[in-house]
Amino acid sequence: MALAGLRVLDLADECASFCSKLLADLGAEVIKVEPPGGDKSRWQGPFWGNLSHPEKSLSFWYNNTSKLGITLNLESNEGQEIFRSLIDRTDVIVETFPPGYLDGLGLGYKTLCESNPGLIMASVTGFGQGGPYSKYKSCDIVASAMGGQMYVCGAPDTAPLKPYGQQAYYTASLFAAVGILMALRVRKHGGQGQHLDISLQEAVAATLEHVLVRYLYEGVVSGRQGSFHWNRSFCLLPCKDKYVVLSPLIEWETLVELLDSEGMASDLTEARWQDEEYRTRHLDHVVEVLQRWTKAHTSAELFELGQLMRLPWAPVASPEDVLVSPQLRARSFFVPVAHPEAKTGFSYAGAPYKFNRATWDIKRRAPLIGEHNIQIYHHELGYSREKIDELSSRNAI
Amino acid sequence: MLDFTRVLAGPYATRILADFGAEVIKVQSRKTASGSELNNTGYFNTWNRGKLSITLDLSHPVGRELAIRLVDISDVVMENFTPRVMANWGLSYQSLQKVRPNLIMVSMSGMGQTGPWRDFAAFGPTIQALSGITFLTSFTPDYPLGLGYSYADHVAGLYAALAVLVALEHRDRTGEGQYVDLSEYEAMCTLLGPAIMDCELNHSPVVPRGSYPDYALAAPYGCYKCQGDDRWCVIAVFTDEEWQALRSVLGNPPWTDEARFSTAWQRREHIDNLNELLEQWTVQHSPEEVMDLLQGVGVAAGIVKNAREVAADPQLTARHFFATVTHPTLGETTFDSTPIRLERTPARFGRAAPLLGQDNRYVYQELLGIGDRELTELIEAGVIS
Repeated sequence: MALAGLRVLDLADECASFCSKLLADLGAEVIKVEPPGGDKSRWQGPFWGNLSHPEKSLSFWYNNTSKLGITLNLESNEGQEIFRSLIDRTDVIVETFPPGYLDGLGLGYKTLCESNPGLIMASVTGFGQGGPYSKYKSCDIVASAMGGQMYVCGAPDTAPLKPYGQQAYYTASLFAAVGILMALRVRKHGGQGQHLDISLQEAVAATLEHVLVRYLYEGVVSGRQGSFHWNRSFCLLPCKDKYVVLSPLIEWETLVELLDSEGMASDLTEARWQDEEYRTRHLDHVVEVLQRWTKAHTSAELFELGQLMRLPWAPVASPEDVLVSPQLRARSFFVPVAHPEAKTGFSYAGAPYKFNRATWDIKRRAPLIGEHNIQIYHHELGYSREKIDELSSRNAI
Repeated sequence: MLDFTRVLAGPYATRILADFGAEVIKVQSRKTASGSELNNTGYFNTWNRGKLSITLDLSHPVGRELAIRLVDISDVVMENFTPRVMANWGLSYQSLQKVRPNLIMVSMSGMGQTGPWRDFAAFGPTIQALSGITFLTSFTPDYPLGLGYSYADHVAGLYAALAVLVALEHRDRTGEGQYVDLSEYEAMCTLLGPAIMDCELNHSPVVPRGSYPDYALAAPYGCYKCQGDDRWCVIAVFTDEEWQALRSVLGNPPWTDEARFSTAWQRREHIDNLNELLEQWTVQHSPEEVMDLLQGVGVAAGIVKNAREVAADPQLTARHFFATVTHPTLGETTFDSTPIRLERTPARFGRAAPLLGQDNRYVYQELLGIGDRELTELIEAGVIS
C-alpha cells in the first residue's frame, strides 16, 4: 500500500483524529497515543447502544480505523522519556494540544527534530500556533462561526445555523493530511522534516465557495438564504414524503412543460417568465407554483423524472436513505469492519477514492484503550512485562 | 499536471498543488470559457491562481492528438467530466497509459465512474442533498435548510489533491502510475460517518437538531443573539470548570445556581432553557464583548462573523491568511491563501489566475516543441482557439 512503512504517532483528540485515519487506511502505521484511561474523544457520542462507554463511541471507532493504540502519560517524566524513544523511528506526529503545551513538556517540534531531523509534526488548533487569538479555546461551533460559515447558514428570520457534524474537524484533517504528504515529498530532497500549522478557523474560511469571493471582489456581504442556494439556482421543495432539491432557474422550458403536462403550470407558461432575470426577481411565485406540483409527487418520482431530463435534481436524503443508496451499494462504498469483542462486524463508510492499484483498506477497527501496549512497549521497545506493569502502576503508561 | 477540470471541485484540487509549486496546465477553450470558467472574474481568479492556461478544442481530432502529446509530458491528468466523456475522446486511462505508462490520472465526478447513478447530473447542492447533510443541517426534520453553498466541491477537491499525492508516493516507490475514480457524493458521505453509523448500529433515525452539539456532552452550547443588527455569538461549555467560569462572568445570577443546572448531564437535559436564559445576558452585549469576556476565563466563545468581518479578522490578518496579487485586467486582487502552513516550504502566491490561452506559446512551443508555422496553422484551424 502506498504509505506502508510510514510511522505516525497520533496524539490528536476529536479535532484531528480523522487526519491520521486517512493515512492509516492508506497503509501508514499509525499509533494512537492516549493518556492512561483513554483519550477524551472516546466520550464523544454517538455510542453503540446509546450508553456512553469509552470502547463504544461510534465517532471514535470511525475516526480511528486501522490504527494501533497505546497509553502514555506525557505529563510524567518517564512518559516523556518513553515518548522520546518512540520518536526515533517516527516520521509524523499529529497533535491538537494548545500552542506551547508540548514545548512546555520538552516535546515541542524544535526539540524533537534535533534528534530526528526528518520528523514532520502537524499541529491542528483552533486558531493556529501564533497570533492574537492563538490562546483562545475553540470547538466546531466556534470554528464555524469565526470562519464565516455559520453566518450564511440558516434562514433570514432565524439564528445562524451550524452545519451538521464536526465539519471543521474533518476539513482541517484533510488539509493536514495533504500538508503531511507534501512535507514527505519535500523531505525526500535533503532529508528534513518540518512543522505544519493548521487552524480550524482557516480550514473553515478556505472552504466557503462564493462567500469571501463575493465580498473581496464585489463588496457584497452574503446573508442567510434559507433553503435556497446562495444564487437561487437550487431550492428545496416539499414532496408527498420528503423534500427534493430542484433547480428552478435552469432548463425553464423543460420544467414548465413538465408542470403543464399535469395541468399545474399556472401562469408560468406566460412569456414574461422566460426571462431569467424576471424569474429570479419573482422566484417566490415560481416556488409557490412549483410546490403545488412537487407535493403531488414523491421525492423518488421527481428524482427519477428530473435525472431522466438531465436536471440536477435529488431527494433530500436522511442517513437511513444513505445506508440503502443503490449507488453507494453498487460501488461497495460501505465496507465491513470486524469487531471481535462484539462478535460481529459493522459496516463503515469507506473511502471516496478508488485506486486501481490496491491502495486503500480499513485494516482493523479502532484500538481498545492500551490495546497495543505490549506490542509496542515489550516487543518493540524491549521493556519487560514487569517494567510495563511498574510503569502502569506509576501511571506513566 | 494536465488539468481538464472545471468550476470548483476539480480546480480546487489543482489549485492546492499549484499553490505549492506544481505546474498546472489548465485546458480551456473559447467555446466553454463562460460562467464560472470565465477568466476575468473574481471567482475564476480565486480558484485558478498560479495555473497556466492553454486553449484546445478537444472536439477536433487534431486537438485530441495534441492532448495526447500533452499527456506525454505530464505526471498527472485530472478531469471532472461526466463519465465516458474522456473515453469518447480517446482519452481514457487505458488509452493514455499506453502513451505514458506511469501516468497518474484522477477522474472526479459527482457519483463516480460506475453505478446506476453514474450519469446523473449533479452539482454541490445535489450531492449535499444525497449525502444527508442537507437534511441534517436544519432546525427541524420537517423543514430542511441545508448549507446554502457548495461545500461538497471543496471536500471533493481536498480528497482529489490527497489522491494525487498518494499516487505520487506510490509511483516513487514502484515506478507505477495509477487511476483514481473519485466520487463527490461519497466524499460528502465520509464526513457524516458517525451519523451513518449511529443510524445503522442503533437502528434509530438521526434527526436534525439545529446547532446543538451533535454528540458532545456540552451545555450551554449554541448561537445567541447579541446587541446590534443581526449580530450573534456562539458559546460552548464542556466542563464543570468552564460552567463555573461562565457563571462568574455573568455575575453569578441566582438562576445559574439552580439544581437543574448543577451537573453537565442536567445542563444538557435542560439545554433549551439554559440557552434561553443565557441569551438574556448575551443580548446586552456585542459579540466582541462576549468573546473577550468568556475567552478571558477559558470558555470557548466566538463571533458569528460575516464575510466583511472575516476579511478584517485580526487573527487571519496577523497570519496573512489573505494574499494579494496583481491581475492583468482586474488589478489588485485578494483571495484566501491556504490553511496548509508548512514552515519551511510555504505556499507562494505570486501569480494571478491566467487569462484565456495566456500560456499557449509557452506550452505548445517551449514544452511541446511546436514551431511558429505549425502553431499558426493550428490556431487558424481552430484547434488552438
